[in-house]
Amino acid sequence: MSWDGFVEGLRSFVLWSMDVTAVPIIVYFILINTSLLVLIVLAYLEFRAQQRRRSTAVSWQGAGLAPGVSLLVPAYNEEAGIVMAVKSFLTLRYPRHEVVVVDDGSSDQTFARLEEAFDLVQVPRELPHEVPIRAKVLGIFVPRDGRTRLVVVRKENSGRSEAINVAINAASEPLVAMIDGDSILEPDGLLHVTRPFADDPTRMVATGGAIRPVNGSRVVSGRIVRVEMPQTWIPRIQLVEYLRAFLLGRTGWSRLGSLILISGAFGLFRRDVVVEVGGLDPNSIGEDFELVMRIHKRLRDEGREYSIEFVPEPVSWTEVPVTAKVLRNQRRRWHRGLWETLWAYRSMLFRPKYGRIGWLALPYYWLFELFAPLLELFGIIIVPLALALGIVNVPFAILFLVLAYGYAVLVTLSAMVVDEWAFHKHDRWRAIWQTIAASILENIGYRQATVWWRLEGWWSSLRGKKHVWGVMTRTGFDEDPA
Amino acid sequence: MIIGAALLVGATVVILGACVLLILAVVAVRARRHSRTQRDEMLLSPLRPPLITVASGEDDDGAAAEQLTWATGVSRTVLDRNIVEMLTKIRGVPAEQLVHVLEVHGAVDAAVVEMSSRSTVKRARAAQLLGLARAGHTVPLLVEALGDEAVEVRNSAAYALGLIGDPAAAGPVLAAIGAPERGLPAATAAEALQSMGVGISEVLRDGMADPNARTRMVAAHLSGERSFTRGLPELRALLDADPDLTVRETSATAIGRLGRSEDVGILVRHTVPSEPLALRRACVIALDDLGEAEAIPALAVLLDDSDPRLAELAATALLSMGPDGRDALAGHENDPAVRSARLLAGLQKASA
Amino acid sequence: MSAPAGDPDASPVRVLVADDDADIRDLVEFKLTQAGYAVEAVPDGISAWEAFAANPPQLAVLDVMMPGLSGIDVLRKIRESEFSTVPVLLLSAKSRDSDVDTGFAVGADDYVIKPFSPRELLHRVNGMLARAR
Repeated sequence: MSWDGFVEGLRSFVLWSMDVTAVPIIVYFILINTSLLVLIVLAYLEFRAQQRRRSTAVSWQGAGLAPGVSLLVPAYNEEAGIVMAVKSFLTLRYPRHEVVVVDDGSSDQTFARLEEAFDLVQVPRELPHEVPIRAKVLGIFVPRDGRTRLVVVRKENSGRSEAINVAINAASEPLVAMIDGDSILEPDGLLHVTRPFADDPTRMVATGGAIRPVNGSRVVSGRIVRVEMPQTWIPRIQLVEYLRAFLLGRTGWSRLGSLILISGAFGLFRRDVVVEVGGLDPNSIGEDFELVMRIHKRLRDEGREYSIEFVPEPVSWTEVPVTAKVLRNQRRRWHRGLWETLWAYRSMLFRPKYGRIGWLALPYYWLFELFAPLLELFGIIIVPLALALGIVNVPFAILFLVLAYGYAVLVTLSAMVVDEWAFHKHDRWRAIWQTIAASILENIGYRQATVWWRLEGWWSSLRGKKHVWGVMTRTGFDEDPA
Repeated sequence: MIIGAALLVGATVVILGACVLLILAVVAVRARRHSRTQRDEMLLSPLRPPLITVASGEDDDGAAAEQLTWATGVSRTVLDRNIVEMLTKIRGVPAEQLVHVLEVHGAVDAAVVEMSSRSTVKRARAAQLLGLARAGHTVPLLVEALGDEAVEVRNSAAYALGLIGDPAAAGPVLAAIGAPERGLPAATAAEALQSMGVGISEVLRDGMADPNARTRMVAAHLSGERSFTRGLPELRALLDADPDLTVRETSATAIGRLGRSEDVGILVRHTVPSEPLALRRACVIALDDLGEAEAIPALAVLLDDSDPRLAELAATALLSMGPDGRDALAGHENDPAVRSARLLAGLQKASA
Repeated sequence: MSAPAGDPDASPVRVLVADDDADIRDLVEFKLTQAGYAVEAVPDGISAWEAFAANPPQLAVLDVMMPGLSGIDVLRKIRESEFSTVPVLLLSAKSRDSDVDTGFAVGADDYVIKPFSPRELLHRVNGMLARAR
């Protein structure tokens, strides 16, 4: 075949694909960003409500109905920071809480450091077996003073989910929060995230708290003393992603009563409900997402009245990936978890008994979170190709870019306005310019890269490749910010 | 697909324009916040020294307080707002002096009027002011506000009623928890009721029969907290038969706090294996709290339970019931539950 | 009421006050200054620790709820330092039982709950210093 013949063939193919898909793709881009905008409007309304609440707030110091909280901390090879983290968790401002650390068969000095810092002694107790566990528990330890509310459980290595399930069994308070050893909690974070439970004690089953990237901020003794912007662009862009997706997407969904995702680094659950549905699923990659779905399904199947809420106050801070390599692994894993969980709960789609979860939240996630990278990829390939082949002219290509990415920047900036109004965490003016720059830069390479990585994760799941956890890797969140 | 430059330029202008507007909005929001704070500080600065003098209780001759009463216009508004803030931080004679300043300013009367304002923030703040000023004559107004359409106002009204402490408001506060659509959050209700004196025990008894589960739970919880033994019959009924598990657990805890030896039976009854595990554990803890020796045989039986925590809780309870309790551990010496309970009891004693 | 009369030539007793709330900081500073103490007032935990380390006072009044390092965090550092016996009074919001427990466990000498009486605060400060002598 001659070169011209090849080009002509390609041309027809591209023309044909574009004919078929061009309008739907642009419509898709507009839809996805409009839906995000709708969520933002909803979140705006929610923030006005929150702002009203805040300026008329009556101080609640957590007396009375504040339910006790068990902080569950799965730890694998965290010798560097575990003691500091546990100390800071123990001194959170809350009337009644305990810390349960599960050493997931660490090969380093994690346990030794804890043992020394808290003068741990072994307790000959057996662990309750409310949530089934596969791995062997090696020992349970408490501080010698008999008063510090810390429990350390050692077990054979078998992954984060099992570690959390062991912690659930060892926990003694009615609420459980799953946190990572490198998370930093706001001193008043527990007060914020338990408030919905105190206000509606018979129906609330889970609440989620906002997370912010801690990169760049000044941390002393496990507390953030000064909030600063991350120093490099990759984490800065993630700051923007989190702002947009967590703060606004979550708050918007919460308002619609369809909150289905609770971020992996800070979710607070009623312990008895978690036990009832069987704890975290060790075989699932999207652990926390999967848990929330399981709770929704079970409670709706049984026709029980319940409530899940999102608290927009930043409750927890965590380090986000700084290098492309770590980021890639994270995004692969998230998308893979998203796919596997959505597929596992496909029976909930469009069924009336699942209410808004079934006809609104789940379809949205299928269309705009799961399939999004596929369609974006198509757009990324087809348009330059069409441009090269002269099928479209430069103005079209630019229009496409403007619509697709300009709109995304618009949505992000809306998120920034609302955040500035409600939380204004960053002091310096410089932070504003950097955030704006990050929201623009996001669309020049970063977004395209995450598209590819998400597809990689999805593809490896479809191929049945087992996810390489190795031993427990550092976890981030099991939610994919859009 | 060849499109005209006009369409492109049009779309680009719209989107770029919107972006610029939003950037300006971010900047404006921040700038406005800064200037507002600065303006307030400036207005307040000549009045701050006398305010601090009064608030710290150093205004023996009343000269500083009088100075505060002379404030007018916007300064007065800002000052009043600061006084209200200050009243959440101090109490005693200085607080009374500040309330007097508010009254002279007519702020209390103005707050009564503001309770009918269209603005939610104004109504809520007005309610809070009335509470902080201990304006007892406004209790009926605040009770009405418990049914306001805005939850912030409902919360503020309950808060104010708690501060004023009039037990006549207890019934309405409790009832407001279960109001359909406009419920009062349980936590605020509980805090308000906490400061309303002994007269509310009958109200709590009624509350335990309320159709709404949240109300029953708050009533049960507070009966326990405030040691209202008159509520025991209702608490027992809730533990036996309430459809909501949280209410039952709360009742068990309350019975543990204020029950007597005749309540051992009912708590023991709910430690049987057919009951939910969470309730069984709560009842054992309550038996420990109760501390009555009648419970010893039942606790001894629980030492063999398949749930290790339940067994350990039973062992802990037995250890605190004197020689008879410790005797009941005979034969279970090597059980992990008993050894753990012993170890922990020992550790606590050692560090006391 | 003023600080107990001591040696008239001695320099005034130094008290460190830390609270992020400007109202409380100012009124406590004023009250204690009127009573004859030399007060250094700081707005947060980090400054409190730095001030303490640079120039240890005879007594510290710390608010529990401060952003960054809380009063309890600062107290912990004080107790672990070489000036660990300095009496410390904690200020906390109403009915925070856990704060009280944690505070005493970490080594606070006394506790005042908000809303508080400034006169009572002064009594306690005087009392703590008298016992420390």
